[in-house]
Amino acid sequence: MKQTVRVTVNGRLYEEEVEPRQLLSYFLRETIGLTGTHIGCIIGECGACTVQVNGTLVKSCLMFAVQANGKEITTIEGLAEGDALHPVQEAFINNYGFQCGYCTPGMIMAADSLLKKNPNPSEEEIREGLAGNLCMCTGYVQIVAAVKEAAGQVDNG
Amino acid sequence: MIPGAFDYHAPASLEEALSLLSANVDDAKVLAGGQSLLPLMKLRLAKPEVIIDIGGLAELNYIREEGDHIAIGALATYTDVAESDLIQNRCPLLAQTAVVVGDVQVRNRGTVGGGLAHADPAEDLPAAILALDAELKAAGPDGERWIPASEFFVTMLTTSLLPEELLTEIRVPARDGYKTSYQKVSRQAAGFAIVGVAACLKESADGVCEDISVAVTGMTDVAFRAEKVEAALRGEKLDDSAIASAAALVTDGVDPIEDVNATPAYRAHLAQVYVERTIQAARAG
Amino acid sequence: MAKADPKQYVGLAARSKEGPRLVTGQGRYTDDFTEPGMLQAVFLRSPHAHARILGVDAQAALSRSDVFAVVTPEDIKRDTKPFRPGRYAAGLKKPIAEYAGAVDKVRYVGEPVGAVAARDRSTAEDVLESIAVDYEILPANTDVHKAIAGEDASVIYDELGANLAWQGTLEYGDTEKAFREADRVVRENLKIHRYSSTPLEPLACIASYDRFSRKLTVRTNTQVPENIYDALRDALQIDDIRVIIPDIGGGFGQKIHLIRKYVVIVALLAVKSGRPVKWIEDRNEHMMAAGHACEQHFDVEAAVKNDGTVTGLRFKEIDDVGGSISTLTIHFTNKLNNLSNTYKVQNIRADGYSVVTNRCPVIPNRGIGKPGMCYIWERIIDRVAQDLDMDPSEVRFKNLVQPEQMPYTTPNGNIYDSGDYPGLLKRALEKVDYPALKEEQARERGKGRYLGIGVVIGVEPGGRNAARDMAIFPEMKETPGSGGINGATIKLEKNGTIALYLGSPNCGQAHETTTAQVAAGILGVSPDVISTTTPFDSDVAPWGVAAANSGNNFHLYDIGSIIGAATQLREKVLKVAGHILDAEPSDLEIADGVVTVPGFPRRRLTFAELGKAAYNNQSLLPEGIDAGLQTTFYYTFPHAQPNMVPGQDRRVRAQFTFGAGAHVAIVEVDPRTGKVDVLRYLIVGDNGTIINPGVVDGQIYGSAAHGIAVALGEGFVYDDEGQLLTITLTDYGKCSTAETPNVEVEHAPSPSAFTPLGQKAAGEGAAIPSPAAIASAVENALEPFGVKVRHLPLTPERVWQLIQEAQA
Repeated sequence: MKQTVRVTVNGRLYEEEVEPRQLLSYFLRETIGLTGTHIGCIIGECGACTVQVNGTLVKSCLMFAVQANGKEITTIEGLAEGDALHPVQEAFINNYGFQCGYCTPGMIMAADSLLKKNPNPSEEEIREGLAGNLCMCTGYVQIVAAVKEAAGQVDNG
Repeated sequence: MIPGAFDYHAPASLEEALSLLSANVDDAKVLAGGQSLLPLMKLRLAKPEVIIDIGGLAELNYIREEGDHIAIGALATYTDVAESDLIQNRCPLLAQTAVVVGDVQVRNRGTVGGGLAHADPAEDLPAAILALDAELKAAGPDGERWIPASEFFVTMLTTSLLPEELLTEIRVPARDGYKTSYQKVSRQAAGFAIVGVAACLKESADGVCEDISVAVTGMTDVAFRAEKVEAALRGEKLDDSAIASAAALVTDGVDPIEDVNATPAYRAHLAQVYVERTIQAARAG
Repeated sequence: MAKADPKQYVGLAARSKEGPRLVTGQGRYTDDFTEPGMLQAVFLRSPHAHARILGVDAQAALSRSDVFAVVTPEDIKRDTKPFRPGRYAAGLKKPIAEYAGAVDKVRYVGEPVGAVAARDRSTAEDVLESIAVDYEILPANTDVHKAIAGEDASVIYDELGANLAWQGTLEYGDTEKAFREADRVVRENLKIHRYSSTPLEPLACIASYDRFSRKLTVRTNTQVPENIYDALRDALQIDDIRVIIPDIGGGFGQKIHLIRKYVVIVALLAVKSGRPVKWIEDRNEHMMAAGHACEQHFDVEAAVKNDGTVTGLRFKEIDDVGGSISTLTIHFTNKLNNLSNTYKVQNIRADGYSVVTNRCPVIPNRGIGKPGMCYIWERIIDRVAQDLDMDPSEVRFKNLVQPEQMPYTTPNGNIYDSGDYPGLLKRALEKVDYPALKEEQARERGKGRYLGIGVVIGVEPGGRNAARDMAIFPEMKETPGSGGINGATIKLEKNGTIALYLGSPNCGQAHETTTAQVAAGILGVSPDVISTTTPFDSDVAPWGVAAANSGNNFHLYDIGSIIGAATQLREKVLKVAGHILDAEPSDLEIADGVVTVPGFPRRRLTFAELGKAAYNNQSLLPEGIDAGLQTTFYYTFPHAQPNMVPGQDRRVRAQFTFGAGAHVAIVEVDPRTGKVDVLRYLIVGDNGTIINPGVVDGQIYGSAAHGIAVALGEGFVYDDEGQLLTITLTDYGKCSTAETPNVEVEHAPSPSAFTPLGQKAAGEGAAIPSPAAIASAVENALEPFGVKVRHLPLTPERVWQLIQEAQA
């Protein structure tokens, strides 16, 4: 039996009928068409589907859409303000912090969340903070560099 | 990997949750943070027909001081526990353990109660709550009861909770003046423990062990207290050789499990090394 | 006049062109697309490593109204044709029909047995559980040594009669003489395990079939359009095929070979259902069945002079190729690409044995076979050094090809274009202050800290040659393609912008950024006004045999064809502009997208004005010139001869450019737990002329990190029954930021003598020497225990066991 989910995503309210077994990741991608949230493993290992729910970093494949009822979600599509890229996005570009781009949305959401909590993390804190997001291309060097560059620029208010 | 279909209930109160559970006791699974249950459902290793989502029950989400105990609601997340000043001050072992569970995302969603009730043999927290002599509160149709941590874990993925019971609270005695540490071996920082050791000890000014508890996870079907290690050190002077020889006792009478991460022989060896290192780390603060 | 300067923007860390879309979630991957009426497919897979299929009952599935098509082994046999044996199966004595799915037997866990297309994915997965397969379980074969000894548990291919499926020898020079005249022979037994690069985006495909025009369109994330194109034609007997390749979420070789099976079956579902069908692979399916790098066993011996000169190398290689005959020799034949590595040895013999097993088929992966070849060389050189009590780097210096020998022809016919191998090694040792490091190591050992230093060197070949495999199969009647051919199209648009269209797909190597940098200098515009059109579309792309995101091809064929197409476009721009401006084309200058007559500031034409003339105003065009400002150029490697096709001597240019890298790994081993920490990892690399250092660095970091992780434990593990125990990324040992060491890179380029910019490959390079570097460093750390490192991976448990064994 379908259930109604009312959820605010990137500032817009959606009210949708979903099967309870629908994962939040599929809800974002297929029901409301935000395909920037990627699916790499679907069992919570890779972090590609990472989004922020009520400001908290989560893997959207480890949540049913019905569990997000009444919550506010930010996805990669909601990070830039107008035409201005978010400082973390800008830093990823400046540092070539991506190759194929598949892990990138989740990685950037995780980096943003990390910098909101800890505006000036050490390299070790960056590496630990991003440990839930796998990248198969980059060896992480330029990702870590990007987060260092963005440090101090993320509004944690 | 899509879970099988199920009916979804999000009860508004513990009472409602318990009656839903009683009504669907054979077909239902309780969903808290879902970080362990969802992967199982997607692999269709778990195919519940009914899901009772207790994630919204604010009455189970708290961390508070109750005299010489700390009471943790079952829905407190690992992040809540790791970052709680109260826990860091009065029972640091729990915070030290919670902060190395999974990765940030899992710690943010995963709940202490959900993780304990899931009883994965490689879960970190069981070692800490065993070492702390915690008590777990089970709520059922006939009321509440307290289960000592030592009686909670039965075997792999099985606890002493009855099918119609919910784990609602974990009560941990404050350990003022104790030195504690949790150390684990895992392939990845975010990985499960191949071996995880929690140690909690009190040392006199001249280095004599006044009290010690050591618990091990990841090594067998169920986390356990290393009682022989404790007995060998209690009342003894804690020097390197005493600790090393006591640590070797952790494997006495224990059959370590075999999986893709480690053979029994290596697991046993790691347990000895990590018991020693954890006790040393606790002493070093 | 301002000449075209292809190097004007080369070497700059130009702003990433794909960046803005990738960091905002606007990348477009296969799974992001939907088609009207699209169904979702899932695959039925074998739970057994080896079994005969006695019957499949899909009645329950077929009777459901929300199920639109089901494919069973019977359908595969009836409705499809087997793939044509490719170049890696050319050594089979008898032809074996390999279909897209299992037809009579299953030969590995996860092998596709059938598929379902349903209204949505949930339904398809529900329905899958209702399909019953009757299997007769057969004994599994997982041990190559048993096969070599003739002790097969069962025969995997009845046609072969045994599981040892192929055996062949390559010999260059006179190894017998070299070994006869050697002062000493150094021997070692080595092994590399099964692993993969596990791209984050799983295999994916959307197939649509227009049955009235008989046109099949597939959107898929393959790295090599040709494989899909040929597979669909062969299997489905359809000629009109369109392959669209959008953004790919990582390739590394994983999306070259076995993906064709799935595309064929998904296309068959589309044909049967009359609907577009999407299929997205699950992670566990990927781990079980998308392909692994080969487990390779080596018995190696080196003929050595007492001064450290290696005069000959012989090795026997046993490859566990898994449950397929279509990539039988892929890991062996790729050793032709770096057979002599950086060394001047003239006598090499390789005996190859390919054994089919009940494990996942093997496929290309970051260097295919080449990490194995480098491992052979670098391990045996270390062993020679130990045998002679020399410093390992000293033995290397003794044997390296010297810069003045460049271009250098290797015994098997490769022509190394340029390089200063001693210089790379010297610089690497300088950078880590090798003598001081040795002192520190000795000091720390005294305190019970075990530091290890591994110093290795390896070549990075680039640009594949499809004729190479004839060297091991001289009986092949025709080449499966030779050299390399690929194209590019460039168009000056009416608004003065430039559109590029490449002949090959990309998997995240910044093709858009780098091709714009190259074209901009030639055309006299800023890279900002150039954009590269994606996705790849076989209907319009100028693609050839080298249209492959593999074989380190990009730097050669894509860059070469961009230079060709841009040069031709520039000529045309000058001709048209000269006509309009009434000037000789050779007198004109182009800068910032404006053509001018020097000295006449008002005689100028912007690219936008030119574009409008070329497409809208026939009267402005010179006579005898085609309208439009669009050029297409197909690049072929200009110095492919000699040895493009192997002759009687089996000498062949397996690849065409040769970068190199000296790697230094500094590790600390915890002798109690066996855990290895990489404290520092340095690469001094020659990637020829670097187009964009940010991009090249990223390629090096990534491939090094993977090679390091592989050496330290990432990999697949099977039990004796052929069940895969590592079906999750965690169990497989994938490393996150927290486990991955920082990698340092210094560039010491020797531009290629053969390529237009001096460019060489950069992609899989650092994955080739890095396993050897780690092995060397760990062995060096554990020298006091007498540990010898032979087999990878070096998991903590394995290292701990090595210490136990050495002490026993």
